[in-house]
Amino acid sequence: MKFKDYYEILGVSRTATSDEIKKAYRKLAHQYHPDISKDPAGEEKFKEIGEAYATLKDSEKRAAYDALGSHPSGQEFRPPPNWSGSQGGQSYSFDDVDLSDLFANFTGRRQGEQHHGGHRPIQGQDYELAIQISLEDAYHGTMVDLNFTVPEYDNQGQLKRVAHTFKARIPKGVSHGQKLLLRGKGGKGANGGKNGNLYLNIGFIAHPLFRVAEHDLLIDLPVTVWEATLGATVKVPTLDGPVNLKIPAGMNSGKKLRIKDRGLPKQNQAHGDLFAVVQIVVSPNPSEQEIALMKQVAEISSFNPRVHFGLDTTNEK
Amino acid sequence: MKNDDAELLWLDEQHEVTASELLELSGLSAEELEWLVEAGALKPIRRVPAAVTQQSNAWCFSGECLIAVRMVSRLKGDFDLAPDALSLTLVLLERIRMLEQQLQQKNSQA
Repeated sequence: MKFKDYYEILGVSRTATSDEIKKAYRKLAHQYHPDISKDPAGEEKFKEIGEAYATLKDSEKRAAYDALGSHPSGQEFRPPPNWSGSQGGQSYSFDDVDLSDLFANFTGRRQGEQHHGGHRPIQGQDYELAIQISLEDAYHGTMVDLNFTVPEYDNQGQLKRVAHTFKARIPKGVSHGQKLLLRGKGGKGANGGKNGNLYLNIGFIAHPLFRVAEHDLLIDLPVTVWEATLGATVKVPTLDGPVNLKIPAGMNSGKKLRIKDRGLPKQNQAHGDLFAVVQIVVSPNPSEQEIALMKQVAEISSFNPRVHFGLDTTNEK
Repeated sequence: MKNDDAELLWLDEQHEVTASELLELSGLSAEELEWLVEAGALKPIRRVPAAVTQQSNAWCFSGECLIAVRMVSRLKGDFDLAPDALSLTLVLLERIRMLEQQLQQKNSQA
């Protein structure tokens, strides 16, 4: 069993008061908390700080810890023969015991109760992962390979970053920001304890064509001036292959044309819709003939899209 | 929680989580859960009828609340938060979630 100097970890003296220990813990906890710290080693440090505080904040545990004596950090050691944490001179192996296990078992033990070393059931750690999937994967459902490292205690009780590889099925019907819980797919439990759980936070990779609004999709639909004026039938891509879309005559930019059931699938097997947002686009390089024809239209047309300005337009042409 | 895969649970407003599931998955105590409900920070969506469950007054909550409740439970352990701080934290987390949702919807319409 390796020694950890909890006072050193919290940066306090061995004679620190409870208030001083609490203050030191809070300061370090705020600094290394996983929700605050960007330090990649912060999570391990935070666990260390938490372990130290859990022992030193409790007067009984702290007294037992002090009775272990002082040793260099990381050094193998054994509690002294008459250590207050043992019962009736019983001896047992410390090989598979972590320092924190001694104190986790310590509190609440009655006189004469046997100490079984490190054999209490320990539930495995919960993992939380954010993953990004494509819209195509969201549409069809997919299997994802999850590769991540998390700080875990090894068999020697040392905190180390351990790599995990895991395949997870992402079903159809997830939305951007969807949260899923995979029971029992977290860290392995110890001594008969249950496995932890895996929490997935699903995000969608930005698509070059589609925007997402819950289970609906939007796509910008560029159309020519004559298509918008006369109407047309155009091919529009969807996540399930292209469809023909009829553009009614007289469409303006910003109008949405609904393509039913071509959005993302919902959990109840229905689908959201795809909305094509009309955008009238002018040709960047019109031919001379096109320009001549447009001039003719300009001459004969009385259409004024700015009549609501209420301005005199007689000198505009 | 109902779903197609027994191991996979959807944490959203379309699925429910019972009070006992919420306690098991979050690590909160029953007293802390009652405190949060009484403070109005957590709103049950319904009560399971006594005929269905052995416990009376068994609550059901929206599945999407589990994430925030877990975070609150973790912060309680990390910072020794008092019960009134727990309820305030939960309210603020819910507000952040709704704002993020509105922002995402707004961006997708652009």
